[in-house]
Amino acid sequence: MSAIEVQRQLLPILDSPNQGARFYNPELPSSEPFVPGHRTCAGCGPSIQYRMTSKAAGDNTILIGPTGCMYVANSSYLCTPYNVPWAHTQIGSAGSFTAGVAAAYEAMIRKGKWKGAYPNIICEAGDGSASDIGLASISGALYRNHDCLIICYDNEQYANTGIQASSRTPYGGMTTFSPPGPMVPEAKKLYPKDLARMMAAGHPHCYVATASVGYPIDLMNKVRKGLNHKGAAYLMVYTPCQKGFVYETPRSIDLGRLVVECGLYPIWEWDPEKRQYDYSFRPQNMRPVSEYLKLQGRFGHLHTQHIANLQKFANEQWQMMGVELPEALLQAADAKNLVNMAAAEEAVTVAETV
Amino acid sequence: MATVTESKKRTVRINGCVASAQAAKYADVDVITAYPIRPYTATMMALAQMVANGELDAEYIVADSEHSQLSIAHGAASSGARVFTGSSGVGVQFAYELYSPISGSRMPVQMMIADRTLDPPGDFGSEHTDALSTRDMGWLMGWACDAQEAFDNHLMAYRIGEDPRVLLPQMVCQDGFFVSHITSDVELPDPGQVNEFLPPYKHPYPLDPRHPVSHGPQIMPEQGPPLQLERARAMEDSMAVIEEVHDEFANIFGRRYDPWVEEFMTDGADVVFFMQGGHAVTARFAIQHMRDRGVKVGLVRLRTIRPYPTDRVQEVLSKFKVVGVIETNMGLGSVSSGGVLYAEACAALYESQQRPLVVSFMAGMGGEAIVLKEFYWMTEKMTEAQKRGKIEKRTHWVGFEE
Amino acid sequence: MSTKGTHIPERLKIPFAGITPAPSQEKGQDLFPTGNWRAIRPVYRDKLPPCNNACGTNEKIQGYLDLVKRGKYVDAYALIKEDMPFPSVTGRVCYHPCEQACNRGKYDEAISIRAVERFLGDLGQALTRDVVKAGAPNGKKVAVVGSGPAGHSAAYQLVRLGYKVTILEKSPKAGGLNRGGIPDWVLPQHVLDREIERLVELGITIKTNVEVGKDVTWDDLKRDYDAVVLAVGLTQPNSVRAEGENKDGVLYGLPFLRDIGMGTSKVKLGARVAVIGGGNTAIDCAREALRQGAVEVTMITVEANPQEMPAVPEDLHDMLEEGVELVHGRAMTAVLGNGKVEALQLHPARFSGAINASPINVNREVPAERFHVDHVIIAVGQRAALDWLPDEFKSDRGTIKIDRFGRLGDTNFFAAGDVVQLGLGQPLMVVNAVGDGKRVAFNLDKVMRGESLQPRTIPVDVIFDLNRMNMTYFPHFPRVHQTLLAPASRRKTQEEVIQALSEEQAVEEAGRCFSCGTCNACDNCYLVCPEPCIERPSRSNGLYKILVDYCKGCRVCIEECPTGCLEGVPELDFDTGVVRMDTAFAILPGLHGRQAEELRNLAERPAKSI
Repeated sequence: MSAIEVQRQLLPILDSPNQGARFYNPELPSSEPFVPGHRTCAGCGPSIQYRMTSKAAGDNTILIGPTGCMYVANSSYLCTPYNVPWAHTQIGSAGSFTAGVAAAYEAMIRKGKWKGAYPNIICEAGDGSASDIGLASISGALYRNHDCLIICYDNEQYANTGIQASSRTPYGGMTTFSPPGPMVPEAKKLYPKDLARMMAAGHPHCYVATASVGYPIDLMNKVRKGLNHKGAAYLMVYTPCQKGFVYETPRSIDLGRLVVECGLYPIWEWDPEKRQYDYSFRPQNMRPVSEYLKLQGRFGHLHTQHIANLQKFANEQWQMMGVELPEALLQAADAKNLVNMAAAEEAVTVAETV
Repeated sequence: MATVTESKKRTVRINGCVASAQAAKYADVDVITAYPIRPYTATMMALAQMVANGELDAEYIVADSEHSQLSIAHGAASSGARVFTGSSGVGVQFAYELYSPISGSRMPVQMMIADRTLDPPGDFGSEHTDALSTRDMGWLMGWACDAQEAFDNHLMAYRIGEDPRVLLPQMVCQDGFFVSHITSDVELPDPGQVNEFLPPYKHPYPLDPRHPVSHGPQIMPEQGPPLQLERARAMEDSMAVIEEVHDEFANIFGRRYDPWVEEFMTDGADVVFFMQGGHAVTARFAIQHMRDRGVKVGLVRLRTIRPYPTDRVQEVLSKFKVVGVIETNMGLGSVSSGGVLYAEACAALYESQQRPLVVSFMAGMGGEAIVLKEFYWMTEKMTEAQKRGKIEKRTHWVGFEE
Repeated sequence: MSTKGTHIPERLKIPFAGITPAPSQEKGQDLFPTGNWRAIRPVYRDKLPPCNNACGTNEKIQGYLDLVKRGKYVDAYALIKEDMPFPSVTGRVCYHPCEQACNRGKYDEAISIRAVERFLGDLGQALTRDVVKAGAPNGKKVAVVGSGPAGHSAAYQLVRLGYKVTILEKSPKAGGLNRGGIPDWVLPQHVLDREIERLVELGITIKTNVEVGKDVTWDDLKRDYDAVVLAVGLTQPNSVRAEGENKDGVLYGLPFLRDIGMGTSKVKLGARVAVIGGGNTAIDCAREALRQGAVEVTMITVEANPQEMPAVPEDLHDMLEEGVELVHGRAMTAVLGNGKVEALQLHPARFSGAINASPINVNREVPAERFHVDHVIIAVGQRAALDWLPDEFKSDRGTIKIDRFGRLGDTNFFAAGDVVQLGLGQPLMVVNAVGDGKRVAFNLDKVMRGESLQPRTIPVDVIFDLNRMNMTYFPHFPRVHQTLLAPASRRKTQEEVIQALSEEQAVEEAGRCFSCGTCNACDNCYLVCPEPCIERPSRSNGLYKILVDYCKGCRVCIEECPTGCLEGVPELDFDTGVVRMDTAFAILPGLHGRQAEELRNLAERPAKSI
């Protein structure tokens, strides 16, 4: 057997824009693997993520879309916004279908049946797929170390089916499967599954990272690092859903920053070489969780105790990252120091009309 | 193709599972995906060893479930790779979600099935219910009755399924144990013959970054029917291709199979067994024995159940007085309150001018062998019905009745 | 055969297995225009940054800072040269109203615009050939009287417009206030010399030692030139009208500086010097006095405290650092001494109304103070010398009377700079004179070409409110400070006190600019659009384009525009580019058939390069 060596791509890492004083994005590639003409909601967070990810990946890319918003809304009625090959797969098949594509290209290139550099193979799984039904298939793909990148675009719910709770829905998050009521005032009682950390712990040979649409260059660089990593990579990206979170559409990116600044979405990388977490990412500010919660109708029903619980959760996240907590945040974890959320009633009204 | 090292035709003594593995090797598959479940596992064990030995250059993926197996196969076939996978019993059913998407996206994935009874309780024995439960999902499907036929069916199925007029996945079935684990002589062809017979796989619209396409976008309700109609057309159009391919196979390899039904000692027969798979081998012995005693009994073995050769079945079965359908599958609460083959046979015969009597036998269930004695018993039931001019009851549970 | 005789109607013809060919990168997925979801349309509307607005000559400050930020120094220099003939000079001497207006000042510290301007000016000086060229000659001759900032600016703009320009300067060397009013340690003479050379390189004739009224007359000018710009400046120092002001040892600010600048000074200062006045010239005089050998220099001002002084705070700070003492709330009421100044008589005083713009109230009811000095320098402003000017053009305040376009009646005479701005009550500073010279040159050109002069009517939108920008994108970052000579060593030298920025420092400082209200091609809108429907044919300011067929009006781009250049405009305000309702939710008939055709032709289509 004379096997042909598989050539891999190496994508350059972009300069971070906020080094020093200036704000100015680095030079971005001109190719548009993701083009307009799709039915995602205005201001859609996952769509923003899709745009950034595909931009970072470039044209020699294959996208895999398990069932979810980015399947249903993006490819409605035989339309497609994907300028690179894209395939739908079943919601539970995120990792496995991707593995099949990766294996096919390994074999076809090695056997001379396809000529060219190994493509970027990216799976875009929603958090329902990634944390629930497709968890095993993704774990399998990571474990077997196919050269691919699996992204969980985490909008913290099953949004496409009409906003149902997933394992990633935060404590206190209202969904149609976790509505608030007299018996369950906080709506969702469970805390979210720590999915990315689970992936890092269980598949330490993989590049694993978390990111947010609030930090586009960081996100794009993590996509590129994941693709450059020879083997499997996993990226969990915070992507707000204006329909499910109930916020004003212009705030999509802003929420992506706030969720990090308030500690509810720690941003980190798992380095498979050193086998350790890199917690060096720091947002510009640290804020109490209430600043993030108050922008969203899905938290409109929360009582002070619930907000304090979330602050406690956020504080734990900060501490895990080795960040020293300012007194104000410690105070905010005590319900005595909090007031009820402003405009909570209005927010509920908005949420119920969804 | 260069990866197959055998240069000459030779005969080896192997079981059905290994024959399937050999067929995958001769087809130079690119991606193999396995998940253990008896009895088909032996095929994947053989393939794993071939890959380890360097006899076959393929990606060998141990999946995390049958669902993943089929998804991997779907992804790999969508990318342009020739794929081989398989399963048995509840494994076939764990992957159920994928059968329609794979045929709907017209990906000629090949799946080897060594049948196994469904739970409960855990039973290793063969029964056709596992594969038959997926029969309407748009997969080409047929049963082999021995290792050689299994080997040949795999090669033919690739050729048929990958034909641009067809582009459908294939389920190449064999009875667990009776075929999968019983060794017999299998003639392995010269690789040159296979090259001549089976061109490299080429899907017209794979996931190729140079020619980007989107597979499986969402559709409007009104767009569903045309897609289903096209899938139905492909299934029907495959019949001509199946006949063509069987002819060509015979010309190249020298073994000629009737693509639809095998008739055994049906000349002058009044009663016939109508069945699929490995139990036909026992049936042949029983029939020979009964013919020696003057009983006019024969065998019609269905080789391809999807697409169902309705016209051919009608034409053949109409020649006889009584047809005894041996189910080897379970159709609880079905038309005959027995298996699923009865209803299809009856439906095929409905428009016949000379309808035979049809009776269903629940035999070979749970992996039990159908012994000669039982064939004699069933023949007796059919002869009685012939004499009486009507059947005693639609379904007999063989071994549980006098 | 169930499918026999079936046919799929034309409108339901869809591609094989629903496999859909990729959309075009340029047009997007044209089956599904989503533009009519939009109620508000994002529009790029550049505003005027406050710095540009505050600048006396409206330099495109944000523009050149942006170019410096990207390392395009020569382009930046060329941009500054559109409005400013001598950035190397203003980069040193300008009172930088831009920095006072800078929005960054409300956030952390204003951008050090003057320092970056100096960086560019010095860069321009080092160029062997200037980026600016004279315009194609139009055959018209213009005389510019005076070679100070206004005259220099007018001459420079006129020569670029194609005029044959002659500058008439009464001093032996050209430069006017730039040479005579600014000490060497602020503006070294060679820097100014180089800028004057640049004028000559453009083809301007400079005639020195020519004084209007003496060497040429009004009528000469009228006869010999098609048009004239009078930029004669303010040459006569104001007196404080104190008793004994004519004694030896009483000096006046501008002549004191001018004589030193021209190298004709014969004054040897004594140990104790007082400076009367609280403005910038007074500060220059005080600091110059130290360099001329004075040991103790005291500045006596009517203003009650340093904050009230009409001076640039940095210069005041540097002066104090050099050791000048301040005495506030005093007016000099007499110069005492026997033929030569020995002491000053001071009385408490304050402005009767607005600071610096009203008469002084002197309180003579308290006993006078006696303040010992060897010299006193009076620096309380200047006035014009206009004996030669026809009376009809003299204003009540002793300046040239002009219309709003800088024109003297309906003559072809124009006037610019301090000599008119003093009369209009405008702040006198180099950059204002430059701006005046520029505008007058443009007006003169219009008159010469027979165009009517129109006042500006379009309102300008200047961003003063930081909430109109997205401050998240601007981390706090300290201003880059220029290094200064050590105060102790300054007394001994005429070397420049303020040192130039290095290239790295200039880039870093320019990088702090918010680009208030102006697209600076940061790519942020392009990157955050969820569609994405923002086109970027090439990365360049103002070249982004919203694809209105697709924009859903989510306004993420507007929210995330760091500079506030993007704004939302209600869709009802537009009558073009509106997407019709019937196209956004329904697939246009026949489009899937076209897709099917495209799919079939896929193999023949050239492969996409990857």
